[in-house]
Amino acid sequence: MNIAVCIKQTADTESRPTLSADRSRVEEEGLVWIINPHDESAIEVAVRLRDERGGTVTLLALGPDRVESALRQGLAIGADFAVHLQCDAMPDDPKTVAGALAHIISTRDFDLVLTGEVAIDGAGAQVPQRLGVLLNWPCVTGVEELKVTSDGLTARHPVEQGDEIHICNLPAIIGINRRIGEPRYPSFRGIMKAKRKPIEKEAAVLEFAQLRIESLALPASRSDGKILTYEDGVAARVVALLREEAKVI
Amino acid sequence: MFKVLVIAESSGSRLTISTLEVCRVASELSMLLGGHWEMLVDHQTEEAAGAIAPRVSSFDLREIAYPGPEMLSDIVAQVTKAVNLVIMPATSTGKDVMGRLAQKLDAPLAQDCMGFEVVAGRPVFKRALYGGKVTANVELSGKLTLVSFRPRAHAPIQQSDEFVKANPCMVSIPELMTAVKLQPKASSERPDVTEASIVVSGGRGLQGPENWYVLEDLLDALGPNAALACSRPVSDENWRPHSEHVGQTGRAVAPDLYIAAGISGATQHVAGIVRSKCILAINKDPAAPIFKVADYGIVGDLFEVVPALAAAIRRGA
Ligand SMILES: Cc1cc2nc3c(=O)[nH]c(=O)nc-3n(C[C@H](O)[C@H](O)[C@H](O)COP(=O)(O)OP(=O)(O)OC[C@H]3O[C@@H](n4cnc5c(N)ncnc54)[C@H](O)[C@@H]3O)c2cc1C
Ligand SMILES: Nc1ncnc2c1ncn2[C@@H]1O[C@H](COP(=O)(O)O)[C@@H](O)[C@H]1O
Repeated sequence: MNIAVCIKQTADTESRPTLSADRSRVEEEGLVWIINPHDESAIEVAVRLRDERGGTVTLLALGPDRVESALRQGLAIGADFAVHLQCDAMPDDPKTVAGALAHIISTRDFDLVLTGEVAIDGAGAQVPQRLGVLLNWPCVTGVEELKVTSDGLTARHPVEQGDEIHICNLPAIIGINRRIGEPRYPSFRGIMKAKRKPIEKEAAVLEFAQLRIESLALPASRSDGKILTYEDGVAARVVALLREEAKVI
Repeated sequence: MFKVLVIAESSGSRLTISTLEVCRVASELSMLLGGHWEMLVDHQTEEAAGAIAPRVSSFDLREIAYPGPEMLSDIVAQVTKAVNLVIMPATSTGKDVMGRLAQKLDAPLAQDCMGFEVVAGRPVFKRALYGGKVTANVELSGKLTLVSFRPRAHAPIQQSDEFVKANPCMVSIPELMTAVKLQPKASSERPDVTEASIVVSGGRGLQGPENWYVLEDLLDALGPNAALACSRPVSDENWRPHSEHVGQTGRAVAPDLYIAAGISGATQHVAGIVRSKCILAINKDPAAPIFKVADYGIVGDLFEVVPALAAAIRRGA
């Protein structure tokens, strides 16, 4: 089974993003880069499926030069191949990203394509659904449990009213949620092997973006809270504050 | 003329609260832009929609046990004609449907918007990036654009005095690539965490599932609009269901009051709660990072503090 995993390189969740002087972009300098956590779990799922059923795992990452380090990390987790879809800057419009990913996927032979459910930086939450429509493949996103057989799969997607259970044939697109399981730490051997694996490069085919960031802002941090030490009467005081000051109960 | 279409979500014959919220967005936006708005509903909610929207179209999926996102996006694509903006609540299903619909209609989509403005005659939508650490104003170009709106970002719309009759749409049932069914969760009297006005959330400080009665008692004291939530390790350990897990990899909530008991306040947790109107933190460690985002905090043992809070609420303090 040949599996592709689309990975986005995102800023680490502990990073404190700052803005460019014209407030049009997040300053990339000083950010610590990681693989989008949902995508990292998708790599783990792919590597396990390959180990059980044979085949290959190919990583696809679109973005500027920096994304190569994400591909190296993914290879160290156990992927076999990596393709860097090159462009000057990370696109803001997920539609553009989905178009470029669909283009490369359609030129190769994959049985299963995994993505994350959502990228934690841009929160686009639409690439897997768009890929499904573009490739005319079945798509299930927000997947927290996945069973794959040689020609089909069963996937569980929690929604507000309960759990959706989807059954479909391959090839398919699956948007993975991190809750499916934590990825393994790359072994020393994995890291050393990843250094020698080649990264294929291809120019990304980018459509015209239709979603444009007009301006960015850093939301004001919350004003200093009232923090009290517990003793007699404190609970009643806080309840009174919630009623009269915050007016939330 | 600018035309806005709301895709409704329902539960039985009732429209969901988040649908009523996006109706308000649709109504205000179309007024600001000098256009009009309408609603697309399942036939079961025709009546509820008729008391709200100036125009209602409906489709009939009586034959289908559970339509699922693939069918819904196909049906909506069939009847979405000549509108400028499609809006849906950013629920799990809403986001799933909108992602598919956007590509079927070859249109741009901004998910999970929390606000809007009209600048130079064009709508601009506010979104949270980097787990809420950055906000962005985004513009969508093209004849047809799509947005989903976060639950609890706007007040629900009021009923109007007029009632309109729905206009039934003929739709053809598509051939599906996935078979989908719903395993409903055990019905609960309590609202979903994303819809509750008060959320009581527990972390590893609770020490085990057997101690949740402490939070449940506080929940009862707070009344029917309160719901339970938890941090990720709690759901990873199966102390609580995953549907209650809040944060970057869980649900994002925005209640009037979020009570965090025994939760340290890791950035990944905070990402899911920053839009709460008011945060009350209870933690025995005065240096816990949760106190940095809390409006009110009590430093103490939650097994003493939480029952004292429940008692004070019941006394009407
Ligand atoms: C990629 C990634 C994604 C993640 N996503 C999420 C997410 O979506 N949601 C999430 O919650 N976490 C997430 N996490 C995990 C997160 O980093 C923290 O590990 C987690 O939030 C900690 O949970 P906690 O606060 O319950 O536990 P702990 O960090 O163990 O904190 C327990 C707290 O309880 C307090 N306490 C203990 N006993 C008592 C007592 N008797 N009375 C009062 N206070 C007490 C302690 O002082 C402590 O502050 C993610 C992590 C990663 C790496
Ligand atoms: N630049 C990118 N390169 C590769 N995959 C991406 C990229 N952007 C998004 N994806 C994939 O699409 C998923 C959802 O992204 P989004 O729709 O932008 O939230 C991510 O979890 C990735 O798997």
